[in-house]
Amino acid sequence: MTDSAMPARKTPSPLAHWRDYIIYIGFVAIFVIFAATLGERGFLDPNNLLNIIRQTAIIAVVSVAMTFVLGTAEIDLSVGAVAGLASVATAMGIDHFGIFGGIVCGLGTGAIVGAVNGWLTTGVGIPSFLTTLAMMGIARGVAMWISATAAIPILNKTYSGIFGGGNIGPVPSLLIWMVAFGSVGHVVLRRTTFGRRVLATGGNETSARYSGVDTALIKFRVLMLSSVAASVAGMLYAGRLHSGRFQFGEGDELSVIAAAVLGGTSLFGGAGTVLGSIMGALMIGLINNGLVLMGLEFSQQLIARGAIIIIAVAISQTKKR
Amino acid sequence: MSMSAPDAVRMTNVSKHFDAVRALDGVSLDVRPGEVHALLGENGAGKSTILKILRGVQPPTSGAIEIGGVPLTTYSPEASRAAGVSMAFQEMSLVPTLTVAQNVFLTREIKAGGLIDDKAAIAQTKALFAAMGVAIDPTRKVADIPAGHKQLTEIIKATSQPCRVLVLDEPTTALSQTEVERLFDYVRQLRAIGVAIVYVSHRMDEIFRIADRATILRDGKHIITAPMSELTLDSMIAHIIGRRSRGFSDVKREAATLGETLLETRNLSGEHKPSQVSITLRRGEVVGVAGLLGSGRSSLARLICGVQPIVAGEIRIKGKPVAIAKPRDAIDAGIALVPEDRARQGFVAFHSVESNVGLPNLDRLSKKAWVDRAKLAALAEDSIKRLRIKTDSRKATVKTLSGGNAQKVVIAKWLATEPDVLILDEPTAGIDIGSKSEIVTLIRDLAKSGKAILVLSSELQELLAACDRILVMSEGRIVRDISRHELDDPANPDSLDALQHAESKLNKAMQEARGAPVQ
Repeated sequence: MTDSAMPARKTPSPLAHWRDYIIYIGFVAIFVIFAATLGERGFLDPNNLLNIIRQTAIIAVVSVAMTFVLGTAEIDLSVGAVAGLASVATAMGIDHFGIFGGIVCGLGTGAIVGAVNGWLTTGVGIPSFLTTLAMMGIARGVAMWISATAAIPILNKTYSGIFGGGNIGPVPSLLIWMVAFGSVGHVVLRRTTFGRRVLATGGNETSARYSGVDTALIKFRVLMLSSVAASVAGMLYAGRLHSGRFQFGEGDELSVIAAAVLGGTSLFGGAGTVLGSIMGALMIGLINNGLVLMGLEFSQQLIARGAIIIIAVAISQTKKR
Repeated sequence: MSMSAPDAVRMTNVSKHFDAVRALDGVSLDVRPGEVHALLGENGAGKSTILKILRGVQPPTSGAIEIGGVPLTTYSPEASRAAGVSMAFQEMSLVPTLTVAQNVFLTREIKAGGLIDDKAAIAQTKALFAAMGVAIDPTRKVADIPAGHKQLTEIIKATSQPCRVLVLDEPTTALSQTEVERLFDYVRQLRAIGVAIVYVSHRMDEIFRIADRATILRDGKHIITAPMSELTLDSMIAHIIGRRSRGFSDVKREAATLGETLLETRNLSGEHKPSQVSITLRRGEVVGVAGLLGSGRSSLARLICGVQPIVAGEIRIKGKPVAIAKPRDAIDAGIALVPEDRARQGFVAFHSVESNVGLPNLDRLSKKAWVDRAKLAALAEDSIKRLRIKTDSRKATVKTLSGGNAQKVVIAKWLATEPDVLILDEPTAGIDIGSKSEIVTLIRDLAKSGKAILVLSSELQELLAACDRILVMSEGRIVRDISRHELDDPANPDSLDALQHAESKLNKAMQEARGAPVQ
């Protein structure tokens, strides 16, 4: 007989939760290893470190939103294609209506795609995996069609400066975008009722509904959120590379999901942290950078990167048995 | 008392029909502020329909409901909650990935400056548990706390906002004795401040201790409402069972011829339940296990079948000890389990009868990974004939079959593994009464053909019709071992009354078993 006075299971020591922090431990470990072995190849050079952030920031921005999507136990595979489409839409918008019109076109693209994804998933009832898989093709196709598969140049210097191209003092604007998305996302997930409802929806949808959470509305909103974040990513690509191209963001959906899962977000919903996802994105960037500095060929890089991700996820997930 | 407060709940002539079925038939119920009102009846008597209407999940077909004197006009969970009805769910409405405090305040989060104030929620949750007298850490994740604590969290969640009516649905199934005491103290506190408590439970001893009045339902109808002081265990059981035509009266009972011992457990214990269970099953025998919800009935089956780990004790098959660590071990040892939740654990609904029956037998039906389709077809056809499964063909999906026939498919699939011991958990749950007696007849026939059968059921009539011997479980232990003929009325051996007599006798034995010394 269990007695309430007697703890049925011992309170676990904080060390028992070390796996929850595996991403931070892993990040530090890999950083130290690279610093020791690649120090003289310029790994610790401030420019190299800032480069890692430049290459990672866009993935990190989308991974913030993906944390919310995965938190509700849904998925969004269309983010990469939406980024490409938004970059094209923004470039065309700037060409026709100027900088402000371009920003509206970019964000509008994300809002429209997100609303369609959300409606198909919650209204029609198609699983988000299929909805967004189909949307991935549609968005990429539309981007190729309206741009006639050509790059659309962006000549507006102000736009490029704000969206990822410039620096503020020594700080790249991409870093500011990443920090802004990360800190807002963190607070929203941890400290607002919306964030709490997101995790409740993914943790046990039935219980959440019994408790009065409108789970369909929550899912609609997170899909909306991820598409808008993807369109911001596309606008950042456009600003950084002074053009809109349908190829931007290709394959990013996988990097973004990998970043979130590395950061401890469950693919089955209900658990995840925004900070973890950002660390996951940075870790992927760190690994990429280190492997390049090691002088590995691209094929070897792919293999090494895959292996490291598998090891990290395996360590963080084995507790769930 | 000139100015008495309005009733907390007043249901007048409430009916609920599902197509032709009358789940509730003109039921009137009044619950006063500051009373604990027990709602009693068998499964299907209409209790859960009343709860669903109170909660706003289902609107009644006809009739009127007032909460605190105000008529309920719309039926939705929000409207019920706004009217002051809180409910602690039996089916657990907690989100496992959130902490205890986060669950208690889910959708009503305490905020400071627009953001969630988890510290305040933790402090308030702690205070609520302190009022109940239990120490549960509000910062633990719900997935990590024991079942009893989950149940108490559920109750704290329901009472964390002011409520006029609190509905407790089987609130003690996962609780220890001490926890039950704490819960009762807490319920008394709520009663003292004028909360009306609707208390649903099968455990009569608890009802006698906590309830002020009781309402008994049977077949969707109101039977009696009376103060507890006017009720006895016998009279309550009589009201609950009633007099009605028995669905199982056509099942023939004859003395079983018993062979050697097939299954034996010695002091078998699981992690929580069961504990130190020793049973013996002989060839040709049907043994029933009766016990209230939470008695450890289903855990016993899961233990023997390798679904749950054995902590102590041993299982012997034909006198030889066998190690059962996983379901495959049990199947290899000749034990088959027909599980409780057919749709989830028993069959693949959108697969055919043939593929369902073949699933546990694929090794036997195939050569080098190639399934022998002729053998599989023969097995399916044979099963359909032997168990008289009503289906268009062996290719029809199980989804298209009635509950009784789907259950036969599950039994067929396990019979095809040629087990010595067949364990059936709630074999006729959710099956219409005609098919129920067919299944029970099938169980008797299988025993006669040389199997040893263990039936776990919450339906006493089914146990009485099927079994040669009935074990009564309580708190994870076997407390009584009653031979079926002991339950017969010697004066009146062969009539409808006899079955009724046996049922009240068994019912009483089960109620008395709670807290009884181990035999």
